[in-house]
This record gives sequence, C-alpha cells and structure tokens, in this order.
Amino acid sequence: MRAWAVVLALSCVASISAPAAAQEAEALRKEIEALQKQLQSVTERLQRLEAQPRPPQPAPAAPMPAPALGAAPPASLGISPADLARPRQPFSLYQQRGAGQLLFDMGVAGDFVGNLTQSNVEKAGGGTFAGQENRFFPREVELGLFGQVDPYAYAEVRIEAGEASRGGDLNVTLAEGAVTMLTLPFGTQAKFGQMRNRFGYTNLIHEHDLPWIDRPNVLRNFLGDEGLKEKGLEVTIVPDLPFYLEGLVGVFNGDNETAFGRGTLRVPMFTGRLRTFLELGDASALQLGMSVASGETGEKRRDTVLGWEARYKYRPEGWLHPLVTLTSEAIYALRRVNVDVDTDGDGLTDLIKKRERDRFGWYAGLEVQPLRRWAAGVRYDWSQFPDRPGSERAIEPYVSFWTSEFLRFRLAYKNTTRDHRDGFDLNGGTARKVDEVLFQGTFILGAHPAHPF
Amino acid sequence: MRRFTFVAGAALVVLSLLVPSAHAARKLRVVATIPDLKSLVEAVGGDLVEVDSLTRGTQNFHEAEVRPSMMLKLRRADALVENGVELDAWADVAVLGANNPNIVRGAAGRIEISRGIQLLEVPSVRVDRSMGDVHPLGNPHFSLDPGLAPIITQNIVDGLARISPDDRPAFEKNRQAFLDQLGHEMERWMKIMEPVKGAKVVAYHPDVIYFLTRFGLVQVATLEDRPGIPPSPQHLVQIIRLMKADGVKVILVEPWNDLKLAQRVADEAGAKAFVFATAVGAVKGADNYIAAIEFNVTTLAQALK
Repeated sequence: MRAWAVVLALSCVASISAPAAAQEAEALRKEIEALQKQLQSVTERLQRLEAQPRPPQPAPAAPMPAPALGAAPPASLGISPADLARPRQPFSLYQQRGAGQLLFDMGVAGDFVGNLTQSNVEKAGGGTFAGQENRFFPREVELGLFGQVDPYAYAEVRIEAGEASRGGDLNVTLAEGAVTMLTLPFGTQAKFGQMRNRFGYTNLIHEHDLPWIDRPNVLRNFLGDEGLKEKGLEVTIVPDLPFYLEGLVGVFNGDNETAFGRGTLRVPMFTGRLRTFLELGDASALQLGMSVASGETGEKRRDTVLGWEARYKYRPEGWLHPLVTLTSEAIYALRRVNVDVDTDGDGLTDLIKKRERDRFGWYAGLEVQPLRRWAAGVRYDWSQFPDRPGSERAIEPYVSFWTSEFLRFRLAYKNTTRDHRDGFDLNGGTARKVDEVLFQGTFILGAHPAHPF
Repeated sequence: MRRFTFVAGAALVVLSLLVPSAHAARKLRVVATIPDLKSLVEAVGGDLVEVDSLTRGTQNFHEAEVRPSMMLKLRRADALVENGVELDAWADVAVLGANNPNIVRGAAGRIEISRGIQLLEVPSVRVDRSMGDVHPLGNPHFSLDPGLAPIITQNIVDGLARISPDDRPAFEKNRQAFLDQLGHEMERWMKIMEPVKGAKVVAYHPDVIYFLTRFGLVQVATLEDRPGIPPSPQHLVQIIRLMKADGVKVILVEPWNDLKLAQRVADEAGAKAFVFATAVGAVKGADNYIAAIEFNVTTLAQALK
C-alpha cells in the first residue's frame, strides 16, 4: 500500500514537472529566437553604415591603411561583423605602432644659453652663469626615456650633458632615474630613485622647460645652481576630497651641498609639501603650495628651508595658450651655524658659538602671450644670501619666440644689484652691479611629456 | 501574533524597496578625455553612469593643459575613456598625478575606444616633425564619424562591462537604442547631403576627414601648411588659387583656430568660412553626439547649396 502511494506520488510529481520543463524549454527557445533576431538586426545595421560609399581622396595620395588593431580576418572564416567589433584582451596597451616599436618613449631636449656682460663681472665670476660669462654654451642636452615598467610602475630616466665650466669638457650625469609605484592603496603613490624634489614650483622643472632663461636668484642662492636634486623616496597622497589637495613626504640622503650636505640616511633630509588648486571659472586657475626641507649641513648643523608658491593663469575661451601667467615663490631658511667669536679682540678665535641664522628671498614673474608664437614678460628677484651678509635684487625683462612648440628662442636683459661686495670681488673684479644680455635656444626632439600647470 | 506578522511583513516590503535603490545609488563614475566620448558614454551608460569630461568642445585636444583639477576628477573615477591614437596622450600625465590605480594604463578601468577602428591617413613614409605635428599612427579625429559609432560604443560597452559585469545587458540595451536612433538620423542625413555629394571643401586643420568621407565630400586642402604649423602667406595664396580653380565654396574652422584669417581667405576666394562642430560642445546647439552631427550636416548642406 505504502509502495503504491509512493509510486502514485512520484507519478504526480512527474506529470506536474514534465509540462513545467516543456514550458521552460519553450520559453528558452523563444528567448533564443529573440536574441537571434536582435543580432541579425544589429548586423544588418552595421553593414548598412559600413557600406556607405567613400569617394577617392585627391592628392596627396591616401596612404595604405595599416591593419586596424585586432585586424579583421577574412570573411571566409565565417566571423560576423559584430564579432569583429568586439575588442580583444588585454584591455589597454600602448597602441600598435608597427615593427621595431620600443616599449617606452624617448626624447631629446637641447638647451643652449649664453650671455654678454661687463669684463669686471667676468673677472669676478659674478654673472648669472657664474664662471661662464661672455660665452655661449650647451647648458643641458638631455636624453629622456620614460614609460611603463609593468602594470604597477612608471619609470623615467634622464641623462644630461652640459658644459659645467669655461671651455671645459662636457659633463655627463644622471639627472634623474626614478620609478613611481602607481597602484598603491588609499590614493597614494611612491617614487624612489634620483629625482628633482617636489619642493615649490620651479625646482621640479628642468632647465629647458623653465619659464625664464635662468632659475630665479632666490632658488639658486638657497638650493644651488641646479636646485634640489636628491636620492631617496617620496610618497604622495591625494585624498578623496571635493577639492584638489596633494600631500607629500620624502626622505633623502641630503647631498645638496648648498642647503645640506650631510649625505647619510642616518641623519636623513626630510621634505614635505602641500599643494592645492582652485579653478576660478573656465578661464582662470590658481595653484598654491607650501614646502619644507630639513636636514643637516656638512658641519652637522640643522638647516630648515620653507617655501611658498603661487601660480595663476588666465586663458581666454578657445585660446591655445594662456594670455597672462603670474608666478611667485618665497623661501625662508633657518640654519644653525658655527660662529667664531673673538672675545679678547686679538684677531684670533677664542670660542665657537652656535647661532641661528635666518634668511629670506622671493621672486615674482609676469608673462603675457598675446600671440601664439610670441610672449613677453618680466621677473623681479630679491634675495638674501644663506651663507654671507647682504642681499641682491634683479629685474629681468624678456621676450620669447616659438617657431613651433618644439623650438623656442629667448632674449633677456638682466640687471642685478648687490649691496655687499663679499664673494663678488674675485680676481680683482667686481660684480656688485651686473648688466647682462642673456639668450637661449631650446629644442625638443621626439617624445616629451605634457607640461603640468 | 497578527500584529507581529503585519509589522514583519511591512518591514520586509520596505527593505525590498530600499535594497535596489541603495544598489542603484552608486553610479559608475566615468571620466572621458574629450566631450564626444562623454556623450557616447552617457548614451551607453544611461542612468548607471555619471560622466565628466577633462576637456571642452572649444579646446584643442592635442594641447590640453594638464591641470590638477583634471587629477581631481580622475582621482574618483572608476573608468577613464580615452580616444587614443595620440590625440589625448596628455591624459597619462593627468593619471600620474591622480593616484588612482583603477585607471592606470593596463587597468580594467582604462578604456580606449580606438580598437577596431580602420584609421585614415596612416603615413606610409618615414615620419618626422618636418611634417608638422603629425600623427604617426593615423588621423585620430574619428569620434564624430557616425559610421564608426557602432565600434566605438561596443568598445565602451565592453570596457564598462569589465568593471560592472552585471550591467552588461543594460549597457547593450542602451547601445542598441542609441544605434537605432542614430541609424534613423543617418538615413535623414544622407538624404540631406545627397545633393552636395562630391563637393569640395577646405579645412583649417585636418580633423574633419572622417566626417567628410562618410558623407561623400572631398577635402582638397587645409589652411595649415602642415598640421599644427600656422599657415605661411605663400601657402595661403596657393589655397586661394586652388579654391578659385576648383570652385571650393566652404572653409571649415575649428573653434580654437583663427576664424578671422579663414574669413579673409574665404573672401578672397569667393567662399564662406564658418566654425564647424569638430567636437560635441564646440558650437552652441551641438550639446550631444547627435546634435553635433546634425549641426554639421545641416550647416554644411546649406553652405554648399
């Protein structure tokens, strides 16, 4: 009896599920038919659009089209146009460029400068290009290599050659060699290697990309002729905020001999920077930042350098270039120094005292570019000297001309006045008042990354 | 007991209403390098995406200035849609400063729409900068060619579906609806352009070749001697002679180029120069993909009559 009940129950279940399964199969069949109709419709539309006639182009003769990415196999393989339109993996590589393609970008930047000045300034070595007054020379010819190392990192290497001293051999140095880790969590990136430190606005920029012929006096006085270039690690964070804010910390050897010089990770040089950006409508924007670098000098004395930066650009709607650019930076340095004290007036040092010496300097530059190829500007510098008394001021009007974005010429007149002779009176010359004509020719060959703001 | 059952049932109903809306509240944040792609992503993504563009239609995309505000947009993006073919190579610098691993090159959120596009004007000779600001991979200005919209939108669908696989059917449906509408407009546009097929035009910069070819027009010259290089007087004299000899009636100008110069040349040659919608948003009324092509078709057909 029980067995019959089970058989009856199973029969009922089968009789219920069989129609249900049949219904499901019918529904699936209908869905498949609908999808097939859709695919057919899309295919026909694609064929109609692609079948629009293309008239022959006049001279210059149209080149042979290169195979498209994921080139289409012949129709005889029975692959539909819808399949051809589907991209292949991986998702996004550098575009196919043809045979012999390097896996990175390469470019050369050449920067040639010269100046004309008084003979007494040349004797004293007190011109803008100290020791190379009244000369024309290659300041920096740079080979740049940059690209993705792998999906997680980007690298750039810059090797530069330049004439460092009057009539001397060309120096070839590693200007930068650094890797940036791109896929770290929490909106961070890390950059390690040898790099131009992200301190202020101008320090990051290479000579051929500067908005002027020379680096501002305050930066050369406080950070050296070539600025702050160190070996170490920088970490940046861009937090998820409704406005742009970039925070940076870095740790380096401290090799820069002008500001630091200790050169050891046992007493590292630390850097920090905060940068923000404000869009003032479609045509204007303002970038503000504050930086700090702190380390020990070669005499094992603490030096802390603070910097402030501001950059404003006004670009009218539809213009290819900004009409007005204002740039300004200020530096304040607090350095502990050893001071010789002669207590008894006999001209001999009786004791050495530690003192704190603070020094300050700033510059402001204005550039107007009314035409695509022509710009004119002026920069004013005022700076104390970190290692000696006195100060200097300079004014430098200039004009720039571009034949294209890859070749530029500049001409400037610079007047510098110093209120102290110390350090500017070598070899019987004097460089208290300096008048210079500066000129520059710069070219770019090959790839060059886009310029930031 | 009855009251408890009622309250529990009501709570379940409320929760079931809330859960889909909580899920739908998080749209995909997509950034496009140029406004044409923004418009196409909006068409494909519909309500599932919020889209921004790094540039405006009135800008020259070759020379976009990389600003920290671009990095701010990219910082929060789930995907970056780029044209490729070196039109928007500057995007790499912006991505580098955005600290967003979702959109670095090779990541799933990096969507390049040039895959599968048969490019025009691919150089067959050695290329260098004596040719101006030449594009060694081919002409990159294909985004406003309606015939290439199926491939471009398919690349967008596949890219968005990589980061949101569950939404692929919705993306496909939106794409279908957009292509249906575009196909319908395309039939009308072809009729409008039929009387002026074969007409010759001059462009300021070679960025309209795909559009012209699609509608059967012929670009006989560009005002630029070479791409990106301002025209020399000698070249302009040659252009004027050519326009007179060939009966060219129209000069097409980008919003960021020198319209006054183009108008002087047009006056000398007995033609008209006007600003063309070389991108979505380049002119008033060209606020989306279809509107931009509509503007170009109607304005060009009128000018060539």
